[in-house]
Amino acid sequence: MTAVEQFDRVAVADAVKRVVIAESRLSVDPATITETEPLVGELLRVNSLGFVGMLVQIEDVLDITLPDDLFVGRTFKVVGDLVDVVLQGAEASR
Amino acid sequence: MTATLPTAWRSVLPYLSEPLPPDRTPPGSGGSGVGVNLPMELVRQSVLPREYWTIPDEVIAAYRHFRPTPLWRATGFERAIDARVPIYMKYEGGNISGSHKLNTALAQAYYYKRAGVRELVTGTGAGQWGTAMAAACALFGLRCRVFMVESSLRRKPYRGVLMRMLGAEVHSSPSGLTEVSGQRSTPLGNSLSLAIGEAVEYARNHDGVAFCIGSGETYSILHQSVIGLEAQAQLTELDTQVDAVVGCVGAGSNFGGIALPFHAAAAAEGSTPPLLVAAESSTAPKLTRGVYAYDKTDATGTGPMEAMYTIGSDYPIPDAHSAGLRFHGAAKVVSALRHTGDVAAIAVGQPESLDAGRLLTLHEQVLPAPESGHALAAAARLATTGADGMRAGRGVLVCVSGHGYLDLGAYEQLLNGELGDEAPVEEALLSAVAGLSPVYGDRVPAAVAGGPA
Repeated sequence: MTAVEQFDRVAVADAVKRVVIAESRLSVDPATITETEPLVGELLRVNSLGFVGMLVQIEDVLDITLPDDLFVGRTFKVVGDLVDVVLQGAEASR
Repeated sequence: MTATLPTAWRSVLPYLSEPLPPDRTPPGSGGSGVGVNLPMELVRQSVLPREYWTIPDEVIAAYRHFRPTPLWRATGFERAIDARVPIYMKYEGGNISGSHKLNTALAQAYYYKRAGVRELVTGTGAGQWGTAMAAACALFGLRCRVFMVESSLRRKPYRGVLMRMLGAEVHSSPSGLTEVSGQRSTPLGNSLSLAIGEAVEYARNHDGVAFCIGSGETYSILHQSVIGLEAQAQLTELDTQVDAVVGCVGAGSNFGGIALPFHAAAAAEGSTPPLLVAAESSTAPKLTRGVYAYDKTDATGTGPMEAMYTIGSDYPIPDAHSAGLRFHGAAKVVSALRHTGDVAAIAVGQPESLDAGRLLTLHEQVLPAPESGHALAAAARLATTGADGMRAGRGVLVCVSGHGYLDLGAYEQLLNGELGDEAPVEEALLSAVAGLSPVYGDRVPAAVAGGPA
């Protein structure tokens, strides 16, 4: 069984939140971040430049390869948007 | 010559002595969400310090139509300039686009197609990039839209015709189709950054459309490494070595392509690299007279602020025949290597560069693009009297980035004695960089001296 096959939404969400927290230069428990938390808001401060690096970090952390067609022309507003697409990508790379 | 086409591109990122300074978000940007308009593989190629990247089979197949490109000792040119050392030239003009730009255009079109994009839009100065993008889109089944600098399109209308023959829609920039073109107040402006800005805005406002760029991006320079990798193999076949490598610089893809594989190879082996010399236009002397600062990459100012040697994105670069070199800043990879002293630079004026092109035409039977003339002039200096304390002792490798068949108007002006130069005056440069944030330190240097700081 590959690393990807073991992923469920909780595990992916946790990994995504950790990367998002680091990108926002915060020190908070990932459990305190909900999936409806805006990526650009009062708490999280992700920008498009950091987002590029985040994607590569997520691939590294989850040991997956995200497909090319998941990101072009898409806008991500809340943490859950990113979790959705990473799950979708992880599924596609199985 | 039997040198084979490389099967992988080689990145210089693992061999930078300092990490690239991170991009910065432009003032006033933000909004309700984030996104990235790049295929993931281009994202990875931009940030990961992986040395080798396998070239996709489809791109290899396309490369095989025109690669490996020829490299030969330019003995006729050597005699014409009374060179003390051999000069080897690598010629990138023998493809449908007429320049090296096709190397990355093919790769980008392939990745964007895989990402589900239906149309690519871009800005072009001399038209070489636009032509390359049109050709690559035609090959990979994408629509193509090109904003081309108005003065350049007027001067070289057949560039536009060729792009249209390749299926592209071509707009003269400023086009009036975009807000950024309407806001532009100066008639000269930084015309390439405006054309790019128009393309950025157009892509942002249309579904299924992505903006692509072919020069300063780290992934573009990676794709261009095929030039230097081939040249290394070809020099080895000739059982020779050079101690200077020269390419022209608009933003840096040609120079990066020919030169940076030599930096990577030397760093990997622990040997001394050749002198890597960027030849720039004296009308846009970012590497010799610019400052190392954060600046915009396009006229919309919505893209990232990148660490670059720049003469200021608002500096109105004078009109010149080498439109491909009329860009305010150098690529961040090239700039970082300039900052650490790994890259040298020479600024060349228009008459000198075109005269070098004339000599190549006469003695090597190759008509180079005016941009390439800058590299040839710099190579000639290195092989003869030297320049700025630099002089080749064993041999010079120079990249001729493209052909000049659509630039004969420029050569006609040279032959008629009508060419001039418009190097920036110090006050204009100081004014253009005054508001920029330096990459290191807290203020832009008072003197615009350029070079490693």
